[in-house]
Amino acid sequence: MFSEMFSYAFMVRATIAILLISPLFGMVGTMIVQKRMAYFSDALGHSALTGIAAGVIMGIANTTVSMIIFGIFFALLLNYISRKGLSSSDTLISVFASCATALGLAILSRGGSFANYSAILVGDILSITTKEIIQLIVLFVVILVFWCISINRLTAISIHATLAKSRSISVRVMEDAFAVLIALLVMLSIKWVGILLINALLILPAASSRNISENFREYTYLSIIFSIFSGVAGLFVSYFTDMATGPMIVIIASVIYFATYIYGKDR
Amino acid sequence: MKNKFLFVLLLLTSISVICFCGTFFYVKNTDKQNTDDSIVVMTSCNPVYLATVNVVGDIDGVTVQNLSQPTTGCLHDYTLTTEDMKNLSEADVLVVNGGGMEGYLEDVIEAYPSLTIIDTFESVEDSYPVIIEDEDEAEESHTHGVESEEHHHDSGANSHIWMSEAIYAGQVQAIAEGLGQIDAADKAAYDSNAATFLSVMDSQIDMQGLDEELAGTNVAVLHEAFAYTAQSLGTNVVATMDLDEERQVSAGEVSAFIDSINENDVKIVFAEYDYGHAMGELITEQTDAKVVYLETLVHGDYSGLDYITVLNKNYALIKNSL
Repeated sequence: MFSEMFSYAFMVRATIAILLISPLFGMVGTMIVQKRMAYFSDALGHSALTGIAAGVIMGIANTTVSMIIFGIFFALLLNYISRKGLSSSDTLISVFASCATALGLAILSRGGSFANYSAILVGDILSITTKEIIQLIVLFVVILVFWCISINRLTAISIHATLAKSRSISVRVMEDAFAVLIALLVMLSIKWVGILLINALLILPAASSRNISENFREYTYLSIIFSIFSGVAGLFVSYFTDMATGPMIVIIASVIYFATYIYGKDR
Repeated sequence: MKNKFLFVLLLLTSISVICFCGTFFYVKNTDKQNTDDSIVVMTSCNPVYLATVNVVGDIDGVTVQNLSQPTTGCLHDYTLTTEDMKNLSEADVLVVNGGGMEGYLEDVIEAYPSLTIIDTFESVEDSYPVIIEDEDEAEESHTHGVESEEHHHDSGANSHIWMSEAIYAGQVQAIAEGLGQIDAADKAAYDSNAATFLSVMDSQIDMQGLDEELAGTNVAVLHEAFAYTAQSLGTNVVATMDLDEERQVSAGEVSAFIDSINENDVKIVFAEYDYGHAMGELITEQTDAKVVYLETLVHGDYSGLDYITVLNKNYALIKNSL
């Protein structure tokens, strides 16, 4: 069964991609859940449409580049506006996300051609190429290095920002750097995961882990395990049942969430 | 259950066992394609599949298989399934409609560089009356070099060419020629099968005199595919609104479409029922035109001579609406 599965080059590439993306989702997701940024990452995912639209308008051949640039700009803008504290951050994020999505849809649907871009809504990990896997490897290394260097500072900020500031941690720089990191992860993997599901993959493993963890180390490790497990199992089931990979991964991650929720509640 | 790590281990093991058993029984109950040394020809969509099946006929050692077809929407935004990817990796040839219709084609070419592609659109675009719908779009895509996301009609051409029986005949010939180059031993058989199919098409497609009755009249279409139906009948398309499940039309567009129908004395509007029904009702209410719901051959299972059957059915529906 498995030898047949891996006799196809596209499955080997998809498996490598899953093994690269899923631990990153598990790892970064912990901080997103911890810092209550689920809405933020969702907004970033939706802004991918605007990034593509900006690329199309400016005639940028590779719209991934325009997506990344717009994603970083959008993430920093959200941070800036949130810091101003003019309104509650979830309201602000919601307004900006809706505005960005509408702008993207309006531009891309010009002349009724939105169908050309609809594939990005659900993603397609099976069509990933070797060149794109190399991009993911670079992303994997960048995020891993950032994580190792910054995890203590990020954790301190997530627990108490003022206390972190008093310990000479530059809260603003760290928050902006983390926002840029999320933007990079979301924009580089959205083509494979899809706008509709990317936030579920970021949030579910971390939320499942949070249900049963007692310390941050446990929280991170379990989140990464849940994320990799959901990714690999989802790919396996989708291969044999001929269903879309992204939704299958999310279904498995959801089962894990509900099981850990019940277990965590009863403890 | 005190130990949470034991819980995690049990949870993941249970999910693994359920996934494994579930997929094992699913696979066991699903028919598997037998792959042998034969030439495996994959086709991208129903019209191309029907043409290829008729060109291949009963030639030994050549099997024709269609990729999974979308149950809704058009082909442009279709995403390949794992089954499609498996089939493509075992295929020798992929016959496509082309012209931007298969949005996934660039990914397939990249993933399977040794797969031979027969692009029927490419073969017919210069010698048959392919409709160019948007000159600006054609120019834009050339000057800006927009990448594959803009696959739909990237030359500004309407790629629903199979809806014109004249162009479809060209597609049939292109497939016979392409297969003959790959499988030279059976070239004569491909050519002969193609000629037989074309003569059957010629004798059995019945326009019911519509080409004379409607020639020169104005029509409107709610799906780009029917621009070719209009072309076959010698009518003029004065208004087009391409509707599918993701198409959001503006109020201005709808009013311009209705105005165009009224101003040009349009008596018939060709539409696809699934996506054109609501708009069709509106048009019937606001204008004197009749809306006829036709098939595009994209959805559903077709075989043998169904191309002819569907075209005849479409012409009968148009005739009955007059």
